[in-house]
Amino acid sequence: MPVIDRTQINEEIKALKAQYGQDRSALLPILQSFQEKYGYLPDIIMQETAHALGIHPVEVEGVASFYSFFRRKEPQGKYVLRLCKTISCDLAGKEKVARQLENELGIKFGETTKDKLFTLEYTNCLGMCDQGPALMVNDRLFAHVTPDKVPQIIADCRRGFIKSEFPKVVPSDVKKEGPILSHNLKAGDGLKSALNLSRSAVINLVRESGLKGRGGAGFPTAVKWQLAGAAQSDKKYVVCNADEGEPGTFKDRYLLYHHTDVMFDGMTIAAYAIGATQGFIYLRGEYLYMKKYLEETIEKRRAANLLGNNILGKEGFNFDIQIRLGAGAYVCGEETALIESLEGYRGEPRNRPPFPVDTGFQKHPTIVNNVETFIDAALICAKGAKWFNEHGTEKSSGTKLFSVSGDCERPGIYELPFGITIAQLLKEVGGENAKAVQIGGASGKCVARQDFDRTIAFEDISSGGSIITFGPDTDMLKVAINFMEFFVEESCGQCTPCRDGNPKLLEGLKLLERGRCSMTYLNELMRLGETIQLASKCGLGQSSPNAFLSILANFKSEILGRVPEKE
Amino acid sequence: MPKILIVDDDQDFVSAVAIVLESAGYQVATAYSRDTGMQIFNQENPDVVVLDVMMQEPDDGFVMAQDLKKIRPEVPILMLTSVGQVTGMDFDKDEDLVPVEVFEQKPIMPGRLLERIRELLNK
Repeated sequence: MPVIDRTQINEEIKALKAQYGQDRSALLPILQSFQEKYGYLPDIIMQETAHALGIHPVEVEGVASFYSFFRRKEPQGKYVLRLCKTISCDLAGKEKVARQLENELGIKFGETTKDKLFTLEYTNCLGMCDQGPALMVNDRLFAHVTPDKVPQIIADCRRGFIKSEFPKVVPSDVKKEGPILSHNLKAGDGLKSALNLSRSAVINLVRESGLKGRGGAGFPTAVKWQLAGAAQSDKKYVVCNADEGEPGTFKDRYLLYHHTDVMFDGMTIAAYAIGATQGFIYLRGEYLYMKKYLEETIEKRRAANLLGNNILGKEGFNFDIQIRLGAGAYVCGEETALIESLEGYRGEPRNRPPFPVDTGFQKHPTIVNNVETFIDAALICAKGAKWFNEHGTEKSSGTKLFSVSGDCERPGIYELPFGITIAQLLKEVGGENAKAVQIGGASGKCVARQDFDRTIAFEDISSGGSIITFGPDTDMLKVAINFMEFFVEESCGQCTPCRDGNPKLLEGLKLLERGRCSMTYLNELMRLGETIQLASKCGLGQSSPNAFLSILANFKSEILGRVPEKE
Repeated sequence: MPKILIVDDDQDFVSAVAIVLESAGYQVATAYSRDTGMQIFNQENPDVVVLDVMMQEPDDGFVMAQDLKKIRPEVPILMLTSVGQVTGMDFDKDEDLVPVEVFEQKPIMPGRLLERIRELLNK
């Protein structure tokens, strides 16, 4: 047990407050810093942090217990091994790797070795779905892990070698580029074009392009910007939602590395349009390894006057960006939960109205956009609305980045126009023999072969970009179980339908697995699923039974006709 | 008599405002969407526009105000909206993004509406 010096802790808290803010919004960064240092959050740290921020220790405890990356009692091992357990890595053979890790370390998942060197955990989606099974050791990623690679990884850790191998760039497999990925713009190009226009002209340009949010919900970007721009406040904020937690999605990981400046341009353009002075990138905790690179880029942009005061000579246009890390909560991809998290609270979605465009971060107008949306906006400013909307459909203009994983010949990142049919997409990725495709991740829809002529577009099947293909031999019940386990774990617990309903659906699937679920009970579960869709508070809850319902609707006979596994 | 264009997707509200304005002797033109509003504006050349914010799109009123000012900046706009009550949003006029002369919250008393219209016409 480490000896903790109260005076030293207070000095550290003081320094962190100076960096992240004097108010409660500094809470997560403070806890993350101590978690990294001590491997857990001892009571004394939570008490001193509460005292320093002027809040009750119970509030700190509440936050620490909400996020899966915080450990409150037992210290973590020096090396925390997190194996991705979501469906793409599962299809790629995660089970065998898990068994080998347990054998090699002599512990089960959720345990720490006696020498306090290793902690073994499962995690939900590391954003490496095209290169699974994926394993994260502290802040270092391993792709295509096989059981025979495990001993070497463990041996490297024991030698303390792993830290020096911190990767600068995570490999990404771009299989098809379109107008967005082949833009050839330099840092500041889009921003310069935007600053030659009035604020309303920038928003009108985005409106003419028809750009809709690329996170999946498809809200018109210009409307969001216009409302935030028109809202009255002395402070406004721009937030980049880089909490790419939807299973099967990894395109933002690529974009953040390879199109970083265009993304920052997009954020800065948004700030100019709405009149914001501060921006945040809410980077998911699993992408910790990118933080340093992003901070270096921000620093370069400050030096080039692409951030800071009077940006590019525009009198009075001041804007800067900070990076805030998530701490392992999928629900924080929902914009109001993300804002709660930024403010130092549990990531629980808010009631709407009021909307973030008026009452966002610390009650000030805030826009939250996806990484890809900011990139599209910057490109639209540089190349024009027509360049953008000559692709796609009337209601879904432009191209979309898809993260393709699962049973197909060519997994990776694809830029394709909206309006493409599922059959066309499968041909592109070498997945023609798929029996089903999960579109939009765990919260999306499972589409079966008879619907492969449907299109991916906001007016038909909407998607944030996750495409997981299931080959002819895939056990769809196992897929449904995987998704429901995900939602049971990731529900924030705030509203009853999602918190209590999803465990019931999972329980029903486990009964089906054992051949012990009657048709009457199954029908009741399907009605429960529909109730969860209707009665949950936030988008996560409302979409949580989608996979369950669509898999059962499409593969009922396969699931019911399944020979139960022996108990 | 001066002509007033009312643009609002709430047809009952448009009728009520039209009665108030016609009773005061004004000519009235009406539209229930941004697109038709723009067409009628070009046909009728009104002296004042009474404009809602949230119509088909939540920001239609703001966009239409910007478009109107590009065509005839001298025509005053009275933005009349319940957007604040519906959404909790706090909006006001802004030279670039909300280019209107007067920003009023619904509901509005007929006397106040007529007073504001008179002020705009006398400017």
